[in-house]
Amino acid sequence: MDSPLLSVPLFMVGPVPIMPAVVTTWAIMAALVLAAGLLTRRLTLVPSAAQAAAELLVAAVDRQIRDVTGAPPAPFRAFIGTLFVFILVANWSSLVPGVTPPTASMETPAALAALVFLSIIFFGIREGGVGGFLRGFALPNPVMIPLNMLESITRSFSMFVRLFGNVMSGVFVIAIVGSLAALLVPVPLMALDLLTGAVQAYIFAVLSMVFITSAVEKGAPHPKEP
Amino acid sequence: MSFDPWTLGFQAVNVLVLVWLLHRFFWTPVAAMIAERQARSATLLAAAEATRAEADTALADLEAARAAIAVERDAMLAAAHKDAEAARAAILDAARDEATALHDTARAARVRAAAALKRAARQEAQGLAVTIARRLAARLDGAAIDAAFLGWLVQGIADLSAAERAALSVARLEVVSATPPDAGAQARIAAALSAALGAPVTPGFRTDPALIAGHELHSPHFSLRNSWAADLERIAAALRADPDGNAGVTSDAA
Repeated sequence: MDSPLLSVPLFMVGPVPIMPAVVTTWAIMAALVLAAGLLTRRLTLVPSAAQAAAELLVAAVDRQIRDVTGAPPAPFRAFIGTLFVFILVANWSSLVPGVTPPTASMETPAALAALVFLSIIFFGIREGGVGGFLRGFALPNPVMIPLNMLESITRSFSMFVRLFGNVMSGVFVIAIVGSLAALLVPVPLMALDLLTGAVQAYIFAVLSMVFITSAVEKGAPHPKEP
Repeated sequence: MSFDPWTLGFQAVNVLVLVWLLHRFFWTPVAAMIAERQARSATLLAAAEATRAEADTALADLEAARAAIAVERDAMLAAAHKDAEAARAAILDAARDEATALHDTARAARVRAAAALKRAARQEAQGLAVTIARRLAARLDGAAIDAAFLGWLVQGIADLSAAERAALSVARLEVVSATPPDAGAQARIAAALSAALGAPVTPGFRTDPALIAGHELHSPHFSLRNSWAADLERIAAALRADPDGNAGVTSDAA
């Protein structure tokens, strides 16, 4: 059995290796964009079942953002919602035989965590400017600047490790059990993996929103009292 | 364990592209549709509220109109009741007046009928009296009656004033008798008149059976009625003047 921690390129484009996670991500992207296009092609005031499900998803994301930030959800909806949907679909892609979830390789969670890290900076600077964002590291006092800067990195790193660890471990366990036991034995573990994947997607999205909100509030001209 | 920086870059770019694509094709259209539905619902709710407000206003107007109609109906009923009362009072008054008029008319008719009956009875009594007197005169001695009436004629002349007697003595006199007097009777009458007037007179004689009995003296300007018919007429006149019949018939006859 090959270790799931090892990634073998599918093919090379010059010096650039194309890993299976990238191809799977492209497939997920195509599927999501195609589904989104089909869903939103004929939006009506009286929704169909699929449109109602799509609107339920959007409303749930909006409500979650509003509950966390207390602000209008429109600026964060696309980023947070896409993170949630992508991670969820990526985690659940393990149900397709022969497909390894992209989130089970380190590069994908690391890329997602890096995007969250950059989005924290982006939204913080957009809210309070560069000065305001940097002043947020000096709260509650300048002594905390090194710790706050370290925290901004470690919390993104923790998101990366958490997502990668949970998904990778699920895939690892299923692979081990599948190699040792009969065909249907891993099914309960796969169901548990589905739950774990949904929870991890939710946690990653909510933590991203919390961190972005924290940066926005610290960078605001009149930061809210804790 | 391996970590490929190219894959890290690919995945970051992939996710960013996916964010943009879903933002373009999913999140924005669906959110816009939700917002449009909410706006449409708010519009419909506002329109429904406005319609309900209009309905409430119309209902209030209707209630006011109904109340006004009720008030008007009460007023009309009161006016109709008042008119009916007035009409009833007018009808009662008219009926009362008509009844009074009918009663008065009936009473007047009854009075007239009683008066007519009384007149008829009086006339009948008068006729009966004349008949009785005529039959009595027929059974009585004609000479004695003539003598009595002649005596009453002389007494009547004596009751006249002297000027009247003097005027009668020079006038052309006529004696009207119930029965034709014979020559002797005419002589006695002429003698008695001459004695009563104090001057010789020669009267003319005429017969009128309507007198029943007696002698009357007439001149162009004077009449001395002295007959049973005249007495009966006087009695009848007295009865007409005194419906109770208490007039002195006997004295007038004498």
